[in-house]
Amino acid sequence: MNKALLLGLSLLALGATAGAQNVTIKINGYAGQDPAIVSDLINRFVKPQVAKDGITVTYEPLQGDYNQQLTNLLSAGNAGDVFYLPGETVQPFVATGRILPLNGLVDSKAFLSNLNKTFTVGGKLYGIAKDFNTLSLVYNKDLFDEAKVAYPNANDTWTTLATKLRSVRKALGNDYYGACFVPDYARMGAFALANGWQPFDAQGRTNVQDPKFKAAFDWYTGLAKDKTVVQPSDLSTDWGGGCFGKGNTAIAIEGNWITGFLRDNAPNLNYGTAPLPKATSGKRGNFLYTVGWAINARTKNKAAAVKVLNALTSAQAQQYILERGLAIPSRTALQTNAFFKKTTPEAQNASVVFRGASDGNVVTYTAGRYNLGEWTRPINEALASVLSGKSTSAAALQKAQADLNTLQKR
Amino acid sequence: MNTQRRQEITTALIFLAPFLVTLAVFFVYAFVRALYFSFTDYNLFNDPTLVGIKNYTDIVADSLFTTALANTLLFAFITTFLQTVFALIVANILNQKIRGLAFFRTAWYMPSITSSAVIGLIFLWLLQRRGIFNYLLTQFLAYAPVIGTLALVLVAAQVVQVLIERARRLPASWFDPALASVSALVAIALTWLLTSLGVVGVRDVPPVDISYYATTARIGGVLPVPLATIIAQNTFTTVPTLMLFFLAGLQNIPRALYEAAEIDGATKVQQFTRVTVPMLRPVTFYVITTGLIGTLQMFDQVAIIGAAAPLAQRITLAYYVYSRAFAGGVSEVGLATAAAIVLAVITLIIVLLQRRFFVADEAQT
Repeated sequence: MNKALLLGLSLLALGATAGAQNVTIKINGYAGQDPAIVSDLINRFVKPQVAKDGITVTYEPLQGDYNQQLTNLLSAGNAGDVFYLPGETVQPFVATGRILPLNGLVDSKAFLSNLNKTFTVGGKLYGIAKDFNTLSLVYNKDLFDEAKVAYPNANDTWTTLATKLRSVRKALGNDYYGACFVPDYARMGAFALANGWQPFDAQGRTNVQDPKFKAAFDWYTGLAKDKTVVQPSDLSTDWGGGCFGKGNTAIAIEGNWITGFLRDNAPNLNYGTAPLPKATSGKRGNFLYTVGWAINARTKNKAAAVKVLNALTSAQAQQYILERGLAIPSRTALQTNAFFKKTTPEAQNASVVFRGASDGNVVTYTAGRYNLGEWTRPINEALASVLSGKSTSAAALQKAQADLNTLQKR
Repeated sequence: MNTQRRQEITTALIFLAPFLVTLAVFFVYAFVRALYFSFTDYNLFNDPTLVGIKNYTDIVADSLFTTALANTLLFAFITTFLQTVFALIVANILNQKIRGLAFFRTAWYMPSITSSAVIGLIFLWLLQRRGIFNYLLTQFLAYAPVIGTLALVLVAAQVVQVLIERARRLPASWFDPALASVSALVAIALTWLLTSLGVVGVRDVPPVDISYYATTARIGGVLPVPLATIIAQNTFTTVPTLMLFFLAGLQNIPRALYEAAEIDGATKVQQFTRVTVPMLRPVTFYVITTGLIGTLQMFDQVAIIGAAAPLAQRITLAYYVYSRAFAGGVSEVGLATAAAIVLAVITLIIVLLQRRFFVADEAQT
């Protein structure tokens, strides 16, 4: 039926005089909350701009593993004209040759340079960041007050933060913990970055036995030895924010997504936000999590797709997203927006997360040309075995390195 | 060849066509194509180029592949053993003339007609860290003194009664139901008395906190705990189907054999091991073969558990193939098909070995 419609529309377009297009632009993106948000964006900002050109826009969310679904759709030639391009899979998707380079089609100067770098491969730009996130440290003010311990702040280092967490636990007893740490590179890696470690060296190889990585690894897992830090499964949840929302942990290391979760699940939790602690070197590290808009290289309506992409990333659209508290915008100009100066916990968190993108060693969360799950698995397994006390960090990292070497030899 | 013969062949081919076409497209073509891809660097987007046996050497070097292979073999052998044994036992129970037989047969068959995805989710829920299974274990431990007292008194009362009966030269079995009910009454009364006097009571025990999924623990140092839960679950869902085969087999054993055995003084257990088991060997061969093939290819329950358990603790070869072929962004179809071919070869070898050594006679007939 869709095909019949398209056929009808293209026949119409053929018959019509030049200039009046009648095309449908299909957008693929995440499922979950995204259909509601994107539909809202389309209705408010995209339709008014493109309707006069005869462009209709539809959103088709991909259920399940997005990267996997997009791979299948692209290989079968059924992907949308415009779609989400997750920052962590830019390189593999660009390598398929199915992503349209945007140089000369879209003006990227208005967007944060760190984000443009994420979507640039071999000097060509393949996506425009729709928004981004970094990690921040949220703390439960009531727990710190009750334990009479000073709140975490921008001057904390790994050592001072660990001391604060241990003091809270000492004051409040065994039902309370410093934090829930997940055995996941997506969190632990930020500490390694702070220490100056680089995920890929000049030859594109990963070294997790680098002393800079090991020091961060030891700090992250060392807190678990005296149960200052536990794993989310110990508190019957599956992420650090879940533990924090229950009110059992003093801090959580999460991105801006935690504010929406707390608004819905722990509305009375009195929390504040600080940047991540500094490494001994005095620097901070952070991950840049981002998703961009990209265009299908095989789209039949390139001009229309570019128009839709521009409307989706327009300043008005981003301002709306920011003020609704949905995400952090990718446009440089918006960093002076009044929203960031508000004193609500949510706005303060947004402000810390926004500044996290340019504070210290910030790297996009990605596995380069590798499959993210496969590249992070050795590191995550090492974290899991040390966090649960099954292995020493030296042995665990040696095994992780061996697995990474096999992967890199392929 | 005469006309009539040619016509016969044509007719046969036409009747066979639907089956042959399906076989050709979905089996022969797919298999040949997979075999070809396993020697190429195909990734869904490129033009495949031949790379020799590189994919095969790569999977052997991949520790995830060796883990998947070990998990698959463990899973296949343990599950096939358990499901065959349980199916045989259940079939025997349901082959007797007992009251409400139709109900029991239906009830036992339920797990097989329930979707394995649904059962997977139910197991995930039962085996949560603060789930029902751990709760029941906690309750059992808390009530252990009471349950222990009850059991001890019951056994003691039974032993005393039987000894008294035997001293009076009366033939009393250790499991005599009449004496057992008296023992039970005594046990209940005594336990109640001891409980109300406060001699025994419910203990305070810390809640059982076993993690069945988010764990790297191994049973006996070999079998990963998450894989063990899949074994339990898979046995639970496959026993009923296999039971049907055994049930059909049991109905074909002539009653006369049992009567003869009984006249010769064989006990029920001896009748089972000496008559039932040997007579069921052809069925057993079929059950074990389909069991092995099915378990070697197990995929769905691993996928349902998903990220709840570490990948290395649950991955099987079929899941390895899937995760290599359909990983986001990076599709290593060459690697995946190489693993699939290895899985096919292993399945074939195991079934051939089993046919050669375990049930040679029946397999030939």
